[in-house]
Amino acid sequence: MSDKSNQNMSELMDGELSSDCSKFLIKRMQSDDQLSRSWHNYHMLRSGLQKDHNAPLMSDLGAQVVARIQQQPPMVEELATSGGWFRSVAGGAIAASVALFAVLMLTPQTDDNSGVPGLQHQLFAKTSSQVINPPRAAVARVAQPVSYSRYPSLTPQIQQYLDESNNQPAIPVYYNSEYVDQMMIKTRVTSRQVAEE
Amino acid sequence: MKTQEDKMSEKTLDAELVEQAKKGGMQAFELLVNRYQQRVANVIAKFIRDRDEIQDVAQEVFIKVFRALPKFRGDSSFYTWIYRIAVNTSKNHLVSKSRRIQNTQLEFEEAESFANNEDQRNLDTPDAVYARGELEKTMAKAIDALPGELKSAIIMREVDGLSYEAIAAQMDCPIGTVRSRIFRARDAIDQALRPLLENESMRKQNVR
Repeated sequence: MSDKSNQNMSELMDGELSSDCSKFLIKRMQSDDQLSRSWHNYHMLRSGLQKDHNAPLMSDLGAQVVARIQQQPPMVEELATSGGWFRSVAGGAIAASVALFAVLMLTPQTDDNSGVPGLQHQLFAKTSSQVINPPRAAVARVAQPVSYSRYPSLTPQIQQYLDESNNQPAIPVYYNSEYVDQMMIKTRVTSRQVAEE
Repeated sequence: MKTQEDKMSEKTLDAELVEQAKKGGMQAFELLVNRYQQRVANVIAKFIRDRDEIQDVAQEVFIKVFRALPKFRGDSSFYTWIYRIAVNTSKNHLVSKSRRIQNTQLEFEEAESFANNEDQRNLDTPDAVYARGELEKTMAKAIDALPGELKSAIIMREVDGLSYEAIAAQMDCPIGTVRSRIFRARDAIDQALRPLLENESMRKQNVR
């Protein structure tokens, strides 16, 4: 390393070097150990001359600080500012948790139907959200005539799916209690006859 | 001939290093830390007496500075900004330390082993104390040994903070001569310190 480079370094730290040379030197310093060593040593001389009586002489604190920063895990704030991917993943996670919360809140208590044999696991969608995310998809049915849709806001594909799923129409318990009573009586009579035979 | 306009001022130099550090340039940040290490330590020393604690708090200050870099907009100078962080960190350190002391029951033997005067406590390792003492002694000797013109130039620059132009006026010489004198002074002291610094760096590597 030449004396000229060192003199440029001396002028750079005092703000007395031209802009172009300064930019070039800063760039070079980051890949040239000898140059950065001169920067540290010249600054240590500055430290020695500016040191207050009570303060210790500071020598190459930068290396210690950088080592500590690199040992520590990055903070959430840094991750958020370092790129868009974190923000999109975090946004997705929040949206997913809100959706999960909504599904859980809309899931009915199935134990309410426990007194009705045969209809114990028969659940009926009551809202459009429940049609899209049925509480128990395996047994859910929509109790509507094929030609009529209560949910005009649904997409044609979902309406078609619902139409196909309703080939065997089921009547909801809360719409036709007389029918359910008859069914229960009929079931009990049948089971009694079977027992007597 | 360098004019005022085309020179990179110290403020612009800081801004350039800050920009690079914001983009993740750790070497640029290291250069910044070494640039302000002593001034920050001097500020901390107004609040804290223990030299080991001053070193620790100085590290903490610069770690906070690094974390807060994205918020630095450059409205004030970089030093004004880190000065505020250094003051706040020192005050917080004192508050948390007093809480720790209140919450800690010191055993009698432990209490006895601490000197009453905090100044007399020194938690440095003997090697570190020796190395620091040697550096300071060597530096003082090297400055004393400088020719009068070089010594005056470097002291006017580093202690009084004068610009090259002001030094040239004081010393009644061309500005080019001031450039050369300041550089020669720094180089002479650097040459005197290098063997010690190399030993110190080898010692640190062996400890690791």
